[in-house]
Amino acid sequence: MQKSKILIVDDDPNLRKALKLRLRADNYDTVQASDGYSALAVAQKERPDLIILDLGLPAGDGFVVLERFQNSDSLSQVPVIVLTARDPQGNEKRALEAGATAFFQKPVDNGELLEVVRASVQPQQGPGTTLPS
Amino acid sequence: MSEQPTSILLIEDNSGDADLVRLRLVEGKSVVDVNRVERLADGLASLSKQSPTVVLLDLNLPDSRGAETFRKILEKAPGVPVVILSGQDDEALAIKAVHQGVQDYLVKGDFNGKQLERTMRYAVERQALLRSLEMSRKQQLEFKNQFLSHVSHELRTPLTCIHQYVSLMLDGLAGPVSPEQRDHLGTIAKSVNQLHAMIRDLLEATRAESGKLRVEPRCLTICELIQQAVAMMQATAQEKEVGLEIGVDTRIPFVHADPDRVLEVLINLIDNGIKFTPPGGSVIIKACLVEADADMVYVSVTDTGRGISPEAKALIFERLYQDPDSVDNNRSGLGLGLYITKELINLHGGRIWVASELGHGSTFTFTLPLYSLAKLLAPAIVHEGCLRDAIVLVRVELVPRSNPPRGNWKETCLQSLELLRRCVYLDKDLVLPALGGGPRESFFVVASTDLERAEIMMTRIRGQLGRSEELQALGEVKVSATAVPLPSQPSDTPVEALVQQVADRVTEMITLTLARERGGSGETSPNSDAKQS
Repeated sequence: MQKSKILIVDDDPNLRKALKLRLRADNYDTVQASDGYSALAVAQKERPDLIILDLGLPAGDGFVVLERFQNSDSLSQVPVIVLTARDPQGNEKRALEAGATAFFQKPVDNGELLEVVRASVQPQQGPGTTLPS
Repeated sequence: MSEQPTSILLIEDNSGDADLVRLRLVEGKSVVDVNRVERLADGLASLSKQSPTVVLLDLNLPDSRGAETFRKILEKAPGVPVVILSGQDDEALAIKAVHQGVQDYLVKGDFNGKQLERTMRYAVERQALLRSLEMSRKQQLEFKNQFLSHVSHELRTPLTCIHQYVSLMLDGLAGPVSPEQRDHLGTIAKSVNQLHAMIRDLLEATRAESGKLRVEPRCLTICELIQQAVAMMQATAQEKEVGLEIGVDTRIPFVHADPDRVLEVLINLIDNGIKFTPPGGSVIIKACLVEADADMVYVSVTDTGRGISPEAKALIFERLYQDPDSVDNNRSGLGLGLYITKELINLHGGRIWVASELGHGSTFTFTLPLYSLAKLLAPAIVHEGCLRDAIVLVRVELVPRSNPPRGNWKETCLQSLELLRRCVYLDKDLVLPALGGGPRESFFVVASTDLERAEIMMTRIRGQLGRSEELQALGEVKVSATAVPLPSQPSDTPVEALVQQVADRVTEMITLTLARERGGSGETSPNSDAKQS
């Protein structure tokens, strides 16, 4: 079975690397983007199964990026987990309403994050799971 | 001040005294505009209309005497300088007035025009100075809060990095770790968590101070939250050999509160209790109803620690307060915990207090409002003073694939409820709490929409819940919707009464549905979504 691919969007290279190592250990492939502009380009090209998105990004705030994902035919079905240093108050509701699957504030508990990652990446052939389109 | 005309509100019932003041004003050669009234009520009315440059005030008026007179004026117009015209015999009272915010006083018949002019001028300038001090204090507070908020956010980024790499190493993802290294890494991880908690407290306190702390009340069972908090604190308690006990009245109805915040409050109080209780002692968490206060639930956290001195008791909910006698040198907090706790409880409309006897432990008690469906429905189903056009009751049923359910069914259901909350519009839909017992879990959403549009929400719900692997493995999801019959809206029926009627109908619909199922347990149609009726 092919590995699921996760796009990590964050402007901090150290954090991207840490997340990559963490996800790789869980048998996920990762691709990265460091700003809002390249996030879209990378996502279009790589077609990830899941996106982990920071909100405070150069060249395009995370909310703008989230909206672009939602408006894109090829990306609107891809689950997005928001991972940000910003406060849940105000931002969590906004992110979820904009289509995010989950909202985590940094620093995140890796167990919780991985749990949502596992639940969000659609199983390739789940037994009896018929999702409405 | 002398360039522009000075407007004076002269409150003086004695015409002779008033004329004398006018005379002195003419002597002072300043351009003045005097508005004289004889009664306090007229003075207050005049202040409502416009602010004079200065108020000259006699204390003994037909409708008010003594200290009462200046207090009322100060309360009405806190920004306007007041000068008292005092008699020879009540100079002591005038001095008292100056202590309480009056700018100055003159003894009647004992001042000339120059003195009157100077007194008024200084009164005005002192008042202006006070105003600018107050403004700069506010600006500083705002600046400080913005600064703290910014710093807290910025600190989080590097902290996240430390946290991530430490956990990578601890989990052995960067190569083998020796026991000693593991120990050191554990210490780093613990410190990172402390730092994170402090940043969070700092932000919360800043928010509380600037009135930006928010709670999102929902319907919840307090017993479950207490159990959750106790489970989370068990390790800490065991480490210190302190017992944790729960004593809850199971008949407590739903509570209307923000579960995350209440959990935060409980954990903070339990943590404090453990901290100040010697090994062998215990911390007891209780919840009960009190007849005299029927709308609230009372939750208390009692420890068998060393208690709190009366002096400390008075300060314990203040910001940055820390017990000076604390034997715990390794202070792990900023002294903001109880301050935030108090603010959170207040935001819920509850109260918090502490009873303690030195050497015999302490009891922290807080109250939270009980749940009223009508009260909760109102913000969702009332729009611009009217009931919404259509209201639908959506039911989400989680049916376990086996009985008894496999795996962590209950936890999975709770997670599903969380997912469900993300499928609704928080401003016009209301997700009700889990109801009833048994392996089947039913969640209800009261949605401000019609059946046709409810389909969209139902699709969203099926989609979200369908993505939960755990739920899919353990059970099935059924989603159905029923229109809630709306009461007719004659113009004279208050909207509160209409909301109550809807609340009653919703309650009835839910109760009937659940009762019917308990009665006819034979039918099971596991594979299809229930039809909408």
